[in-house]
Amino acid sequence: MINRMSKSNGNGGLLHPSVDRVLVIEGTHAASYAVKLARVQVIAAYPITPQTSVVEKLSEIVSGGELQAKFIKVESEHSAMACCIGSSISGARAFTATSSQGLALMHELLHWAAGSRLPIVMVNVNRAMAPPWSIYVDHNDSLSQRDTGWLQFYAESNQEVMDTVLQAYKIAETVSLPVMINLDAFVLSHTSEPVAIPKQEVVDEFLPARKALFKVDTADPKAFGALIGPDAYMEMRYKLFQAMEDARAVIRDVDLEFSAKFGRSYGGLVEEYFTEDAEVVLLTSATAVSTARIAVDELRSMGFPVGLMKLRAFRPFPVDEIRALAQRVKKIGVMDRNISFGATGIIYQETKAVLYNAPVRPSLFGFIAGLGGRDITPETIKEIFSYLLNHDEPERETIWISLKSDSAGQEEPPIPEGPGGRMKSEGV
Amino acid sequence: MTRYKYTTVEEMPPLAFSLESTRKIPTGSWRHVRPVYKNKTSPCEVGCPAGEKIPVYFDLVRQKKYEEAWYKILEDNPLPGVTGRVCYHPCEGQCNRKPYDEAVAIHNIERFVADKNLRNKKLPQVSETPKSEKVAVIGSGPAGLSCAYQLSRKGYRTVIFEADHEPGGMLRYGIPEYRLPKKILDKEIADIESLGVEIRMDSRIGGNVAWSELEKFDAVFVAVGAMRSRKMDVAGEGLKGVYTGVDFLRDLSTGIVPKVGRQVLVVGGGNTAIDAARSAVRLGKKATILYRRTRAEMPAVPEEIEEAEKEGVRFEFLVAPAKITGVKGKASKIELIKMKLGEPDASGRRRPVPVKGSNYTMAADTIISAIGEEPDLSFLPYSFLKKGVRLFVDDDYSTGVPGIFAGGDAATNPNGTVVNAIRAGKDAAKSIDEFLGWRTQSNGLSHDVVHPDDVNTFYFPHEKRVKVPRIAVEKSKASFTEVNRTLTEGQALDEAERCFTCGTCLHCDVCLTFCPDVAISKDKDGEYVIDYDHCKGCGICVNECPREAMELVPEGAHEVEEEAVQA
Repeated sequence: MINRMSKSNGNGGLLHPSVDRVLVIEGTHAASYAVKLARVQVIAAYPITPQTSVVEKLSEIVSGGELQAKFIKVESEHSAMACCIGSSISGARAFTATSSQGLALMHELLHWAAGSRLPIVMVNVNRAMAPPWSIYVDHNDSLSQRDTGWLQFYAESNQEVMDTVLQAYKIAETVSLPVMINLDAFVLSHTSEPVAIPKQEVVDEFLPARKALFKVDTADPKAFGALIGPDAYMEMRYKLFQAMEDARAVIRDVDLEFSAKFGRSYGGLVEEYFTEDAEVVLLTSATAVSTARIAVDELRSMGFPVGLMKLRAFRPFPVDEIRALAQRVKKIGVMDRNISFGATGIIYQETKAVLYNAPVRPSLFGFIAGLGGRDITPETIKEIFSYLLNHDEPERETIWISLKSDSAGQEEPPIPEGPGGRMKSEGV
Repeated sequence: MTRYKYTTVEEMPPLAFSLESTRKIPTGSWRHVRPVYKNKTSPCEVGCPAGEKIPVYFDLVRQKKYEEAWYKILEDNPLPGVTGRVCYHPCEGQCNRKPYDEAVAIHNIERFVADKNLRNKKLPQVSETPKSEKVAVIGSGPAGLSCAYQLSRKGYRTVIFEADHEPGGMLRYGIPEYRLPKKILDKEIADIESLGVEIRMDSRIGGNVAWSELEKFDAVFVAVGAMRSRKMDVAGEGLKGVYTGVDFLRDLSTGIVPKVGRQVLVVGGGNTAIDAARSAVRLGKKATILYRRTRAEMPAVPEEIEEAEKEGVRFEFLVAPAKITGVKGKASKIELIKMKLGEPDASGRRRPVPVKGSNYTMAADTIISAIGEEPDLSFLPYSFLKKGVRLFVDDDYSTGVPGIFAGGDAATNPNGTVVNAIRAGKDAAKSIDEFLGWRTQSNGLSHDVVHPDDVNTFYFPHEKRVKVPRIAVEKSKASFTEVNRTLTEGQALDEAERCFTCGTCLHCDVCLTFCPDVAISKDKDGEYVIDYDHCKGCGICVNECPREAMELVPEGAHEVEEEAVQA
């Protein structure tokens, strides 16, 4: 993984003054520590692999008195979200974590949380949907919740998990919408990395106590989320739509403010890597980004004009950023770690939709890779770049990478020749 | 109905909620059953002969209010340090936790509370005004002490006449030091005396004190206990080396070491037999208990039997003495006869029947007979009604002679248990109070007893019963040091935490938390108030209550009840 800490703090390797200590921890625990620093007041969750250690750590933190929070054990994810909704609507800062089937079980209440405009933050450890059972990463679980009104972030490193949780509360409480932070099963969730734990007082400055827009008050009971007629429902939807639109600027601003306080920035909705002079750009998300960075570095060293766009926020979708990129590159490849049956990869579809009304439309390629925890290695990425460099247009709408098939019909792309030499053919 | 006032999206709030309070919608009218708070009786309270308010004092223990907990016990029992050690704890047999995992160690908590107050000499202030009547109590055993104590709390001047040199009766002379240290007994008797109870030692009624002395009193409570060992009725019982359990234990209690041989045979299956056998072990002897029925029928407390086994006491069942023979007036052999179990007798246990021709002989120089005790009532000046060897008393402990009451082992308590004697003393005090023209309030126990199924065990994780700390067997066998230790504070708090507190509201807020209509609130005194205008009668509070301190009643039933009260 990229050592983002040393890259972004300007102290020549010294720790940023906001850092309390550096711990080598897994991604799940990075989330737990962030929840503690955010002074969350209610935690309700149901255990599911690989999310469990998020909540285990939190239960220790709460029972040890390190965090003054109500920890509610529940009988299902549906109840977990119900508890978050109840506590959030009474003004508390609420948190839950889940994964895969658990997230699916929450579905109805995800609509409730967003429709009630509650700034709940959830960590979802991306795990493939069953059947067949899998506990390994892909993104179909969270992307299936695309239209529930939740903001969605995808993290690349454990540090980003921690930092995004802290940013998420600020964003959520500004726009009054819930936020889901996604991290890849095992690749992040159970991999230890050094994580800078910020000082509590700096977090407190960045993230003061929640000021709720509205609260339930048992002394003055009201009906919340009550029945509404056709004469006003549409307006209420418009408000939610508008809040999500407003969130784009808020995400960018919060990232800038975070950067000023903590010395780390994630670029807002996207982060670009070697895109200034790139002709071919790969658009992808989550841990595959850090792998792609290695492939890009290597191809760049060989002289290939390749670049990378990291999709950090999926909702709201980074429309402006992608359109701006399209103005200056020839080809964009989208690597989806998900599949929408009957269509294509989901981020590919979204990217295509964004570009249709753009003044310039580069060639767009959709790749499917890494489903159900299949490794995405630098070789996988190079295979994709190889395809991109060797094709003016995609041969088909969906190109499956590393599919074990005799009749996939996928033509072996020729090994390209670049100014810096021949690209290695291994794994391509 | 108020229409919303917004016309454009800009004016609208982010979330749809009613503009007015929903309080004006009386959803309570949908209700056909209503929840009410109603404390019930826990089975342990019913099981405790002394009627201790166990859930209440347990809650005080949990709050570390040990003095208040002690005061709560003292309402019903002035000897918690004693019963906390030697009681056969029928409360635990009734405990609702028993079918769930293991009964709560109630008697150990009782002992913990008593021992926490070992240096506390400040007994609760009794509010009753002093009364002019005087009551005499004969005997300072648990029944006499309990009766005198309760009468004293009711404002009577009470005098106990004790024939012995020291007070306590069987508590002092019958229970060995390793089970009940004398200093505990002395402390609790001193507590009773501090209330104004006078104990006159060496005052044997019908002996150095004339019966007529009692005529100065307005009522008498006869609690002389059962201090005389029953005879085995076999030849040779008078030989040297044959003791009664009562005498053997009395000697040890007064510092006399009885002369016993290496092999001690104890006849009997009750607590006296076990006490004698375990005491013999402590004198460095081998002890064997001979019992005419089987282990299942032994009246001794099961824990005591186990302890005796641990310490090496041997048991022989289905055997009875036939005769004892001796040389030069000293016992040397015992002839035994084998028994088998026949039809159940009056006690419900199967009657032992001798097996003809099964006699056999054993060498025996020390035989302790402990087949039961009976009262010595020869001091009574005229004939009272009897039931067997004991005094007959009515349900109110009256003997038939006006003003004379009786209880404890001498009358009501054939099993000779301490706690039943305490209960007799307490209840007799109530009757004496009424006899003297006063009215005693009831203890307020409701007739609804909480059953195991009524407890919402979701709130109570399985937890093992506390393991009572004790000194090592090798050590306990070698001395009269108390075997069992008092629970540590941590153990006591953990064990108290295991108590379900059946039927007593602890203001845990579960009802309030779960009410989906926010129809439960607390008043300024912290008591729950149900808003029946909005309670829909869903029953979640009642269902969720961990300890059955609420119930659902049909709508309208409460009105009938209220009218009945008014009428």
